[in-house]
Amino acid sequence: MLAAASLTDVLPEVDPGPEYSFGGSSELATQIREGAPADVYVSADPRLARALARGGLTSAVADFGANRLAVVVPADNPASIREPADLARPGVRLVIAQEGVPVGDYAREALRRLDLATALDRVVSEERDARAVVGKVALGEADAGIAYATDVEAVGSGVRAIEVPSAAQPRIGYAVAIVRDGAAARAFVARLLGAPGREVLREEGFAAP
Amino acid sequence: MRRGFELLLAVAASVTIAFLVLPLVALFLRVSPAELLGQLGSAAAVEALLVSLKTSAIAHVVILLVGTPAAYFLAMRRFPGRDAAIALIELPLVLPPAVAGIGLLAAFGRRGLLGEELTVLGISLPFTQAAVILAIIFVASPFYVRQAIASFEALDPEVLEAARTLGASSRRVFARVALPMAWAGLSVGSALAWARGLGEFGATIMFAGSLQGVTQTLPLAIYAELDRDFTTALALGGFLVVISVALLLLVRLLPGWTSSTSISLFRFARSSSGSTSA
Repeated sequence: MLAAASLTDVLPEVDPGPEYSFGGSSELATQIREGAPADVYVSADPRLARALARGGLTSAVADFGANRLAVVVPADNPASIREPADLARPGVRLVIAQEGVPVGDYAREALRRLDLATALDRVVSEERDARAVVGKVALGEADAGIAYATDVEAVGSGVRAIEVPSAAQPRIGYAVAIVRDGAAARAFVARLLGAPGREVLREEGFAAP
Repeated sequence: MRRGFELLLAVAASVTIAFLVLPLVALFLRVSPAELLGQLGSAAAVEALLVSLKTSAIAHVVILLVGTPAAYFLAMRRFPGRDAAIALIELPLVLPPAVAGIGLLAAFGRRGLLGEELTVLGISLPFTQAAVILAIIFVASPFYVRQAIASFEALDPEVLEAARTLGASSRRVFARVALPMAWAGLSVGSALAWARGLGEFGATIMFAGSLQGVTQTLPLAIYAELDRDFTTALALGGFLVVISVALLLLVRLLPGWTSSTSISLFRFARSSSGSTSA
């Protein structure tokens, strides 16, 4: 099972059986294109999954779950960030994910919608996935980051989430596709899309699609 | 019987070489020279190359200026704890790069051991080129220093003693006798350290982050491109291989160095095997 890093805490609870490899959705897509052995691909960007499906590399794609972006700050909030607009203040050290990975593109879209393009000048590092963004903030090296709300909750102590207004939230959904057809792959997808998956997703703070 | 053994050795050597070279061959089979050169037109690649060359060059100057006298001291003097000191210098060779990165953060990060002192001085290291340079020095300097220690230790003590009895000061013995005699070994260590510095990845991404034109070195750019365009990542990888091979060849091809070079390279390789993965 190749799965988006933001689902690290979710999938083993949905189904503890399979072996998971978590990573950035686009990196995982690259691995599948390069022929990495995988049964199922779970992506934080449905477009990536659909591109693989169009290339004949996976089965049809099913959507599930939804997530939100949040601004994440260290618990002691050294730069006194109270709202997204504070991210554009001079001297703030902001960390986001790089362009081309879902959470990085979503963050840029949210900043655009908030009319905060200047916040991009405060970016001191571009990370590979949402977990790495939260990590740099949790270490206290960055003043703020933009990641999935569920990642901030998962890290828990050491960081705090600040709401991004709904109007600025991009549509963030997950998608699953079967790479190598088989009983195990089908059973996993059925669990994920069925009641067990929905329940764990709700518990971990994900919304319905 | 004897021929069988010879054959066995030859097979082992072939397997070793094939295993080490295969990934590189595969890389170049996937990237055409045109694609490789095409990368020179991409801003990300050029900026990464410039960041890599600048940071690794500065790191290298520091490594040579501090590492050479340090190695000379450790090679020539006997004092309690000397073995432990040399072992400590070798530690970064076997440390996983991620551990090196965490260690650097724990020491020089905002919340690190020296964080407050640095903040008072108005210095903030993470996410800067200075952080990239520190990371390179940390992982690459042992490659030079341990080679330099071995080179100084291999000098004929009688020659150094003769220079001293002829009235040369110890500074003069170092500059006029020890340095020129150890030159070949020092050059090999220097090239290896630079090549290792150019390839530095794990400690850099943890301690310095990754931002194009600032802290994104070639290896970090390759990692970033894996998410965007595999062909670009391959081409950048090929680029880095060409530079590293050129560095090592330069050392090998310089006249007069060949014999001692192979000996010291061998000595180096034997005692640090398994520690160069990044």
